[in-house]
Amino acid sequence: MHAYNRMMRMFLAVFILSAATVSAAVPENGKCMKCHGRKDVKSIAGNPVYINPEKFTATTHSIVGCTSCHDRVSSGHPGDGSAPARAICGDCHAPVSVEYAKSLHASKARCNDCHNPHEVRLPMFMSGDDINKKCAKCHDARKILKSHAKWLPQAELHIDSLLCITCHTGSQDYVITMSIESRLPGSKDAFKTATYEELAKLTSGDNIGRVIDLNGDNQVSLEELRSFNHHLRGKNMRLWGMMTPEVVTHSYQILENRWDCTFCHASGPKAMQKSFIAFPDKSGGYKRLAVEKGAILDILYGTPDFYMLGTTRSTPLNIIGALIVAAGLSFPVFHGFFRLLTRKNRKEDDHEA
Amino acid sequence: MKHKEMVYMTPMPVRIWHWLNAFGIVTLCVTGLQIRFPDHVNIFGAYKAAIRLHNTAGVVVSISYGLWLSYYLIVARSLVKLYVPTLDDLKSGILRQAYFYFLTYFVGKPNPHHSTPESKFNPMQKAAYLVIMFVLLPLVIFSGALLMYVAPLRELLLLLGGIKMLVGSHFLLASCFTAFLCVHIYLATLGHTPFAHFKPMWNGWEEEMVEDAEPEKKTDTKLP
Repeated sequence: MHAYNRMMRMFLAVFILSAATVSAAVPENGKCMKCHGRKDVKSIAGNPVYINPEKFTATTHSIVGCTSCHDRVSSGHPGDGSAPARAICGDCHAPVSVEYAKSLHASKARCNDCHNPHEVRLPMFMSGDDINKKCAKCHDARKILKSHAKWLPQAELHIDSLLCITCHTGSQDYVITMSIESRLPGSKDAFKTATYEELAKLTSGDNIGRVIDLNGDNQVSLEELRSFNHHLRGKNMRLWGMMTPEVVTHSYQILENRWDCTFCHASGPKAMQKSFIAFPDKSGGYKRLAVEKGAILDILYGTPDFYMLGTTRSTPLNIIGALIVAAGLSFPVFHGFFRLLTRKNRKEDDHEA
Repeated sequence: MKHKEMVYMTPMPVRIWHWLNAFGIVTLCVTGLQIRFPDHVNIFGAYKAAIRLHNTAGVVVSISYGLWLSYYLIVARSLVKLYVPTLDDLKSGILRQAYFYFLTYFVGKPNPHHSTPESKFNPMQKAAYLVIMFVLLPLVIFSGALLMYVAPLRELLLLLGGIKMLVGSHFLLASCFTAFLCVHIYLATLGHTPFAHFKPMWNGWEEEMVEDAEPEKKTDTKLP
């Protein structure tokens, strides 16, 4: 009954407040944030209780409101020393909890070991690196690389271009999500995902999507992609693509079909035409802009640093290659044909190649 | 009247290199086909098997190329003489040879080039092999080596225009090799018998039909 009431409150809150700004819509959030939004405030036991207001505001949880999850806050809190009840994720996310409970992971980690409920976002609003970093909290990156290298060709490249959950969950509907990476001019350091501040310097307004989306129509055309790649490659920036699932599951497991490279590499060019560019926002999340369909298959400047063997091959290049081979084949065919017709002229057979 | 004479045309190291190279390049073409079109071609079963075989064949061809280059540069010292077209070849030799292949061959005229161990290749062969051995093969080896180690060599890939540029070049170079293979194998059948040019590449000795009236050549003792 208690869980039922909590869910009802949540649905009601989402229904009424989804279109409104969080701070105005859920006044008690502001009340909580007076203390929890300050880094210097600690619990009686001395533990940090800080919640980043900007990151929290960007979450769906903030729409629900603090007290929907922490529903047993005493009227005297914090002065009476009582701690509010911990949220129970399964109260709202019951199907996910059931699915997760059956997975290999269930006995190893709880929900908030991977998801910070005060910063949580849908995967489409996160960068691939951020998602993989969650896995790396427990799974040592060097060990992961070593174990994958035992069977996976170019393991480092695969790990750089894939989310762990792409292979280790039953996630579906893969797309290519590209993020802008940068490094300091003249530096030979590894590229890192560009921050909002870095990209904001390149645009005049707040809309940093304009770094690539030049006409501001919230869609990136192939021409805009080419222009970005052409002009910013020399400025220590690049687009790095990762294969990401649109539908995410919590069924952590080692899937048999992922051992087979053809699961990804033989899906054909028609499967890999959907792509996005993820732009960081002020709150540390990302927003995506759709890229023109098929741009991922462009030969040169579309996505020069993203190529997936067998899948993102370019049709015009295939045609050029086929013409070259056909030209080579046509010589024996035509020459051989006339050779056959004129065989009587070469009675002595003393020719040499 | 003509009689047969045997000429030692191809030394053993060159023959070993040739067949190693031939086997390697055919393997690369076939595995490459599966790697590029896995949704249509499945010759080697697992995709990974095709990739591993492709990489192995690539390494074998690269080593074999190194040995070939070392042999001709250091041991035989005949690389320039055999493979670089002379001024005369460029001015008229190539045209003369093309004229033969495309026209006079069909009316029964003899080949304007006579192969000897010192001048094995006709001007067209020289030009083609020069491009193959000193431009296309090094480029395909270089691009292939980079593609085998994308993550560690990422900086170099970026300098060269990115992975797509490299994959595209590698594919077009491979297409050129496939086209060359078709022409090469066919032209090899244009000897006095269809297998006349295959035999010397197997046992080193080439049969030649020589006019009886010609002064006798002691070619069977000739070694390059």
